[in-house]
Amino acid sequence: MTRRSLRFTIFIYASITLIVIVLLFPFGVALSTAFKDIDEVYSTPPYWMPKRVAVENFTHIWEKYPLAGYFMNSLIISTGATLFATILCIPAAYAFARLRFYGRKTLLFALLVVQMFSPIIVVIALYKIIVRLGLIDTQLSLIIVNAVFTLAFAIWMMNGYFSTIPREVEEAALIDGCSRWQTMFLVTLPIAMPGVVTVVIYTFITAWNEFMFALTFINSTEKRPLTVGLYNFVGRWQVSWQYLMAAALMAVIPVIILFMLIEKQLVEGLAGGAVKG
Amino acid sequence: MEEITVQHPQKSTLWTTESKIAYLLLFPAFAVLLLFMLYPILYVFLMAFFKTNKLGNIVSFIGLGNFEVLFKNKAFWEVTFRSILWTVLAVLSKTVAGIIIALLLNVEFAGRKIYRTLVIIPWASSVPISAMIWQWTFNSEFGLLNQTLKMTGLWDNPPLWLAYPKTAFFANLYVDIWCGIPFMAMVFLAGLQAIPQDIDESAQVDGANAWTRFWRITLPMLRPVLLIATLLSALWTFNDFNVIYILTKGGPINKTDILITFIYKYSFQFLKFGPAAAMAIITFVILLAVSLLYARHYFRSEDV
Repeated sequence: MTRRSLRFTIFIYASITLIVIVLLFPFGVALSTAFKDIDEVYSTPPYWMPKRVAVENFTHIWEKYPLAGYFMNSLIISTGATLFATILCIPAAYAFARLRFYGRKTLLFALLVVQMFSPIIVVIALYKIIVRLGLIDTQLSLIIVNAVFTLAFAIWMMNGYFSTIPREVEEAALIDGCSRWQTMFLVTLPIAMPGVVTVVIYTFITAWNEFMFALTFINSTEKRPLTVGLYNFVGRWQVSWQYLMAAALMAVIPVIILFMLIEKQLVEGLAGGAVKG
Repeated sequence: MEEITVQHPQKSTLWTTESKIAYLLLFPAFAVLLLFMLYPILYVFLMAFFKTNKLGNIVSFIGLGNFEVLFKNKAFWEVTFRSILWTVLAVLSKTVAGIIIALLLNVEFAGRKIYRTLVIIPWASSVPISAMIWQWTFNSEFGLLNQTLKMTGLWDNPPLWLAYPKTAFFANLYVDIWCGIPFMAMVFLAGLQAIPQDIDESAQVDGANAWTRFWRITLPMLRPVLLIATLLSALWTFNDFNVIYILTKGGPINKTDILITFIYKYSFQFLKFGPAAAMAIITFVILLAVSLLYARHYFRSEDV
């Protein structure tokens, strides 16, 4: 590393700190509001530091609003979608990574294209399908659509992971007398566990954050996931922003932590060979 | 001993044992994709050419009728134009900001990892929830954004962001950019780190200054990453439903709608499913074109 001038170092720190302040600004706002009581929230001009730290917001909210229910619903939907997508994606990804078959490249290409489609394009038709299947206003409908719309990318990422496992490992297992199925499930899959974890986190987060399908398919308040449940805070009750911000922070922090675990794999999965050097 | 077919690169034919296993493994995933993705797309295509009732049921064939209705509607053209403007402005801003952040984070300094993590947070956060937080941040009376702008002297008289078409458009745009910057920064950072150091160093030895090195070496070498990232970002930006719907619901008076939010409103608020389907088809064609470009470049970069 070449030696740098002090001015350059200061410049770097100053710039990146400024950028981080700008990027984290709304979270600062959320924190500030989440710890104010209602009078402080609605005082003009607004100010950053709460005069009294209203920690009780974080407990009252569970009593005053069906927040626990929303959390539970999000958990059910995300877990269901994750299981469904993971079970479907592993065999498909294995086939892409390890087997030769007619149409392999075309199908892989199609997955990459499909991955980019906006659900909005099909939501009208999906709505009709969901109604016809008798799944409207059920969490199962969200489990299915969330799994479907994460599946293409999940297969793609898993395929990438399987491809990094040396074939010799499987060949050795085959020579030792394992059947193809045994090799697949007992040898390759355990090695591919980090890839599975990535896919699991990815689908879970995507389903957890999903908003549009939940808004469209769920009518009953008690079946809503967090995103739509919180969205309806704004309309339904007199908006107690301190509660909404407290709930928003609680809803988002676990997701942020999970996301950090897979961020690098996501970047590689999305941008492909161009960033792998 | 079972033959290890994986070893021999041979021309694949349809019904070898290996293909049979492959198709068996692929079947569940693709069955689900066909049923819940391809079938709905075909159904929307069908709807676009039929008259539909308020329940979305197909009534009678009207050919291009839905498209004609759409093309005569001034709002449709406004929204289409806005979608393009939205995408171009947002992708440009995200790209420039992303490159700047990536260049900064590519310098070695103490605490770099922490800064890197902090930069990712807007991306890691849930977009709908971020949009709700932003809605409160933009609040004209009690929001801390305008207060902070005034306090710091950056803007003495900031507008009531979400109240007017123009400012609401920029507020939406800003939030979309904010969500999209971290991904850009991370992709470019990964791209920068893949550039061999010695090229840059030898240019430095030859006396090229930082500015020249950036334009002549760094940027050209980032080209493949730049291409893929901007295409991807264009797709996401064009598809950004959550930010607009939550922040302004496309208002005031549909002046912040883009195609994606307009399709949704047309179907589930105005219950005009036919024109909505026609709009969805137009959007589909645009997205397909960009996705194909993205996938082609991806395949070129990746050895699949």
